[in-house]
Amino acid sequence: MMWQLVLRNLSHRPMRTLIGVMAVAVEVALVILIVGLTSGILQETAKRLEGIGADIMVQSPAAQMLITFSGSPMPIKIADKLAELKYVQAVAPALLQFNSTGGVETVWGIDAKSFRDVSSGFVFFQGHDFQGPDDILVDDWQAKAKHVKVGDTYHLFNHEWTVAGVVEHGKGARLFVPLATLQDLVGAHDKASIFLVKCTHPDHTEDVIAEIKDLLPNHPVRPLKEFMTLMTSTNIPGLQTFIDAMIALAVSIGLLVIFLTMYTTVLERTRDIGVLKSLGASKVLIVRALLAETTLLCVLGIAAGVGLSYLVRAGFLALFPTLSILITTEWVLRAGLIALVGAVLGASYPAWLASRKDPVEALSYD
Amino acid sequence: MGIKVTIWSLTDKAPDSERKPLEPILKTENLWKLYHAGKVEVPALRGVNFDVLPGESVAVMGPSGCGKSSLLYVIGGLARASRGKVLVDGNDLTAMGDAERTKLRRSKIGFVFQRFNLLPTLTARGNIAIAQYIHGDGYDPHRFDVVTKMLGLEGRLHHRPSEMSGGEQQRVAIARAIINEPKILLADEPTGNLDTKNSDIVLEMLRRLNKDLGQTIVMITHNPEATTYCDRVVHMRDGIIVDGVPAD
Repeated sequence: MMWQLVLRNLSHRPMRTLIGVMAVAVEVALVILIVGLTSGILQETAKRLEGIGADIMVQSPAAQMLITFSGSPMPIKIADKLAELKYVQAVAPALLQFNSTGGVETVWGIDAKSFRDVSSGFVFFQGHDFQGPDDILVDDWQAKAKHVKVGDTYHLFNHEWTVAGVVEHGKGARLFVPLATLQDLVGAHDKASIFLVKCTHPDHTEDVIAEIKDLLPNHPVRPLKEFMTLMTSTNIPGLQTFIDAMIALAVSIGLLVIFLTMYTTVLERTRDIGVLKSLGASKVLIVRALLAETTLLCVLGIAAGVGLSYLVRAGFLALFPTLSILITTEWVLRAGLIALVGAVLGASYPAWLASRKDPVEALSYD
Repeated sequence: MGIKVTIWSLTDKAPDSERKPLEPILKTENLWKLYHAGKVEVPALRGVNFDVLPGESVAVMGPSGCGKSSLLYVIGGLARASRGKVLVDGNDLTAMGDAERTKLRRSKIGFVFQRFNLLPTLTARGNIAIAQYIHGDGYDPHRFDVVTKMLGLEGRLHHRPSEMSGGEQQRVAIARAIINEPKILLADEPTGNLDTKNSDIVLEMLRRLNKDLGQTIVMITHNPEATTYCDRVVHMRDGIIVDGVPAD
């Protein structure tokens, strides 16, 4: 009977119900997409770093983040010192430069030979390696997204590049340019943002890391095979706070809309509440009825929110094929739970108000 | 109508009217109800003494603002008395908290209102069944059938209040009020929103409930014709009962 009442009440005001459902849906979708986008980007970046094939990455002491988007350059001579260490097979410097024109990406300036030595080289789908200072290598996802092919001109950093090759994705970046050219362009002569180190055997990774830490005490030195586990929002300063703030904002929106929806519902049903009280309905029953209504509304909103998340993701991926949005069951459940708790909190005060209504006043309400 | 079934037979309970009552089913002693308008106390009831015996039907008449509705709300446990006593089936309402009064209302009181007060989102069936749900016995199909047949509602159970006439809505309200076999049925102007034909139908239903099933009824009314359906008429004025005379 309770659920019959709840269902009838929800269907009685379809527009209000729809607004409530959509508010929860937007809340759930925001949570899923914000988390999905950040974790997707992190994981995808981590995968690409792991995919290079190097064993160790050395960053500048100023690099605060696990991933370096730009700058923090170190003297390139460090590469020579690293190469002299025991168990080090090869060292490749790379200068990383963030680009936000025509997309968001980090361009890697690499030395073709040393990069090949640490990564066992690119897999070319089209074209060839750098042959000139203005050549650029584009990975297959980027080529598809930007509709470029070998021989095309690529505009980047106010410079015209020629697409020399289209390579398989998963080797650190989506765009690679010659190290020297990028150094000239950004005024970082003889500088590098990271050093990729290949050990003579993966088992020596820890030994080499220890050696590097002795040599460069303040530099972050990390094994690349652990990047997937390290690359979480909690390990990126500020990112978790950003995610938490976004979730709080989404929950606040949902909570306020549910509060308003249930508050107007209670006002509108004042007389009905009086009737229920005249029939002997307890305060608990009235609270339960309203919270059950909120719960059902919320469950519908969660379902719609999950659907909306997949829809938005599909739209984003169609527009930005290189983007990665990771929707996990864990976060779908978490987002649903967060929305449910928010909705119940939002409905609690109106439900409490309803339960405390004076039946005589409620029955004479117009 | 000629329907011989009784609600009471369903629970192996003899009609209250067949018992030899020693005590009134409803009794008020020096009952006061004060409302507050700012700092001013406005008395709606000023020492009402009023008894109703089991199986009796009583009409309460009086001009607007004389305290009839206040009396109904206080004896029905919807409002708290300011002073005095209200005994319903031996239970002192004035000594009870809100939760206890709610419980007593659930088990012993049935209300019928002038404006029907059906839940607009539910069908007639839902409006009656919800009273059973709140009562806690759950849906009893047999009792439900008996009551809806008695009130001639069989064909209207799937309709919502907005799809029914005033008379039909009031019959649904009566069904809802009696579905749990309350000790007392309190009716607040039950014909106030009905035309003459539907008023007669509703009053006849209430009379049958009283005569055939022994349902105790207290009815507030402005309708002089309604008083002819009751055993006794009580007149109120300025918050007190001014007389109590047999109708015939």
